[in-house]
Amino acid sequence: MLKYTIRRILGMIPMLLLISIVVFLLAKAMPGDSLSGEIDPNNTDPEYIEDMRERLGYNDPLPVQYFNWISNFVQGDFGKSTRYKMPVSDLILEKLPNTVFLGVSSLLITYILAFSMGIIAGRKPYTIGDHIIGGLNYLGLAIPSFIAGVFAIYIFSFNLGWIPYSGSVDIRLTQGTFEYWMSRIHHVIMPAIVLGALSTASYTQFLRNDIIENSRKDFVRTARAKGTPTSKIYNVHILRNSIIPLVTFLGFDIATIISGAIITETIFTYPGIGQLFIDSVFNRDYPTLMAITMMLSVLTLAGNLVADILYGVVDPRIRLD
Amino acid sequence: MKKKSLLLMLSMLLVLSAFLAACSSDSGSDTNDGDADGDQAEAPAGEPAEGGTITYGIEAVPEGLFNWAFYGIATDKEVLDLFDESLITYDENLTPQPHIASWETEDNKVYTFTFEQGVKWHDGEELTVHDWVFALETIADPDYDGPRYTNVQTIEGAPAKNDGSAETISGINVIDDYTVEITFDEARVNNLENVWQYPMSRAQFADIPVAEMSASPQVRQNPVGIGPFKVENIVPGESIELVKFDDYWQGEPKLDSIIVQVLDSSTVVGAIGQGDIDMIDLAPVNGQEVEALDNITVEVYPALTYYYVGFKLGTFNAQTNEITEDKDKYADLNLRKAMAHAINREEWIEAFFFGYGLPVNGPVPSNHWIAADSEDVNVYDYDPELAKQLLEEAGYVDVDGDGFVEDPNGEPFVAKFSHYATSNPTFEARSQAIVQYWNDIGINAELEMTEVNLYYEMVEKDDPSIETFFGGWGTGTDPDPTALWGSDQIWNYPRWKNEESDKLLADALNLEIVGEDQDVRKDLYVQWQELVTSEVPMIFIAELQDITALSNRMGGVTFDVSGKNSPYEWFVTE
Repeated sequence: MLKYTIRRILGMIPMLLLISIVVFLLAKAMPGDSLSGEIDPNNTDPEYIEDMRERLGYNDPLPVQYFNWISNFVQGDFGKSTRYKMPVSDLILEKLPNTVFLGVSSLLITYILAFSMGIIAGRKPYTIGDHIIGGLNYLGLAIPSFIAGVFAIYIFSFNLGWIPYSGSVDIRLTQGTFEYWMSRIHHVIMPAIVLGALSTASYTQFLRNDIIENSRKDFVRTARAKGTPTSKIYNVHILRNSIIPLVTFLGFDIATIISGAIITETIFTYPGIGQLFIDSVFNRDYPTLMAITMMLSVLTLAGNLVADILYGVVDPRIRLD
Repeated sequence: MKKKSLLLMLSMLLVLSAFLAACSSDSGSDTNDGDADGDQAEAPAGEPAEGGTITYGIEAVPEGLFNWAFYGIATDKEVLDLFDESLITYDENLTPQPHIASWETEDNKVYTFTFEQGVKWHDGEELTVHDWVFALETIADPDYDGPRYTNVQTIEGAPAKNDGSAETISGINVIDDYTVEITFDEARVNNLENVWQYPMSRAQFADIPVAEMSASPQVRQNPVGIGPFKVENIVPGESIELVKFDDYWQGEPKLDSIIVQVLDSSTVVGAIGQGDIDMIDLAPVNGQEVEALDNITVEVYPALTYYYVGFKLGTFNAQTNEITEDKDKYADLNLRKAMAHAINREEWIEAFFFGYGLPVNGPVPSNHWIAADSEDVNVYDYDPELAKQLLEEAGYVDVDGDGFVEDPNGEPFVAKFSHYATSNPTFEARSQAIVQYWNDIGINAELEMTEVNLYYEMVEKDDPSIETFFGGWGTGTDPDPTALWGSDQIWNYPRWKNEESDKLLADALNLEIVGEDQDVRKDLYVQWQELVTSEVPMIFIAELQDITALSNRMGGVTFDVSGKNSPYEWFVTE
């Protein structure tokens, strides 16, 4: 397994290099740069813009720009955001806790919903309960998150007044106190539900189908013949086998937690990586844009690796090497 | 019968809504007359209560550069205005008034500034002229990465500091802690308006190299200012807590604290309606919806920005800084006039700015003190018949009978109109409307939407695909329009070259002609506006109004053309 892991990690290097070239070229192919856009005559002067272009190296040929960026990047210097004028690594670290908190909460909600619904639907397929669950799932899949977000705010914030509609915490509370953490949870719950509930469909349906399929397998019949209680058959024998395909999702989930939810974060004004990312695209903030893209690429690749390794743990029949 | 009752109901609704509308428009302007009709105008005029906290909404995320020398966007400026202030203020005519600093000058070249004593920074240090000198020298430093050098370069010796050949700025002479003498490189009427007017805490920044200042915690996390409120806590990207500064030099502020809350544009109206937001600047699109709420007063006041449609008349040579009027497609004055008369500005403003704007008749918004009266300039009102007539006089007639005019040589004439595209969906509609106005007088017009990041660069580089273009400009407190209209200026986007205009603009800055007399200066600017509007290098469309929503418990807030008053005077009534 160690040999396999090392081989996979080495294989990532050329892949990341290729990704970096493609992303860099795509970023540079966007019209304009971080200094163009609407001009305020009271606030800017053309000499300053020219001077900054020269200082930021925008006038160099593309290969030189790429080489300058990648050599710094490999040494851990992600550059300085052109919009926020601060090191990109600090900027990302500032937003990361929020995003991870939101990502983990939403994933938790997805798992709880998907497992409970998937097991119910799988144990009693083609009943009314199964159909209701299926219907709800596809409804969730069909509703875009920005619609769900706006409606959630309208109903739960403005009409019922249960949840806040903006921010990640009440600024008046002292950091670290119990109230502070309750406020964090209070602020995260709605975006997490919007994010989590809408993406349960694939988990639920995979789980349901696998449970149905596994329940027809020989080992289930044998277990039944031996007199094993039905609940034990389902909860131990079948469930363990049915989880395997879900492990594939877990790999992607790791990247999803970090990449956050661009739209949901924006609607709930929840400052996280997703918001930062879309912002960096609009403002041509190349250092931030590139750092986030590279981070997500690494995480996706690593997530896949973890998923592959986990296969071996969950199902000893699968051998790596 | 049924139809009749429906009609009756409709007409009653109309009457009712007219009545309601009358009520709500009253409440905006009326002061408290003691009449207990439950009108919302009463709350703002109530008695100030002790202390209190208000929530101040902003619709965009601040960049977090909370220092005057480094900030880049208007959102950061809004926050800065709450906790820091300028040495000099401007009255409703945009004339400078002494504030923390007062000044004396004999020749408009050497100024002596005297500071108030006992003004404290939020960290307890006293403000002295050294803090201002520190700000000026930071901005002139070669490592400085902000955009404000233009406000310092007119000081004698600043260019030497900027290219690294001098340690200090030679034109600054500190006399004592409260007095400084500043020598400019030449005498100008607007030296004072142009110079950098914000101090920077020397105690906070002294140990930080200039190149690292913009990323420092003194700018981003713990900014200090001299304003009535100090920054207590910042949660990046979502909220800022400001508490009152007891040692504020004009006395203790009335409010205890201000919470600045970032909102997504989709939640603004709901949040205001719920009473969570006490004060917020609104986008025109939300204005009417918010005006309908009964816990809110909406204040509309003139802004200093205007929108125009420009004609490309030539090209700019960036090496020699010269304009050549070498594009002759729109060289015919009557064609330009016809295109101006074709646009129904009132209708356009009503449709796309929801009435929060006014037609503007020249290159200066009407509330600026140099703005000419409409009798003194050429006004191009909506008149399609006159437009058609002008077209015909210019030789643009429909030869081939396709409904669109051909140019005087009989060749097909297609006017191309460019507008910038962002995620804002109204941009395409509003530019399509202008194209439609031109179509209606028989000009075949085409619209091209260009990505905003590319747009101004194309306009600036005189890209051949830019023929007529949409744009907006703002006027600063200093009225000098040379940067936008001089024949050697890159921002003269129409590339309009006119010696008379250059001379008028130069005269208005010439001390020997203008002297101390503002009326002489205004008169020159009025002549210049008359000239610009008779030549129509651009069609002036609209000047905007700023809209601020105030909750009924807010008081003490006033507005004029230079913006809101100091938060020092704000209070709540409950």
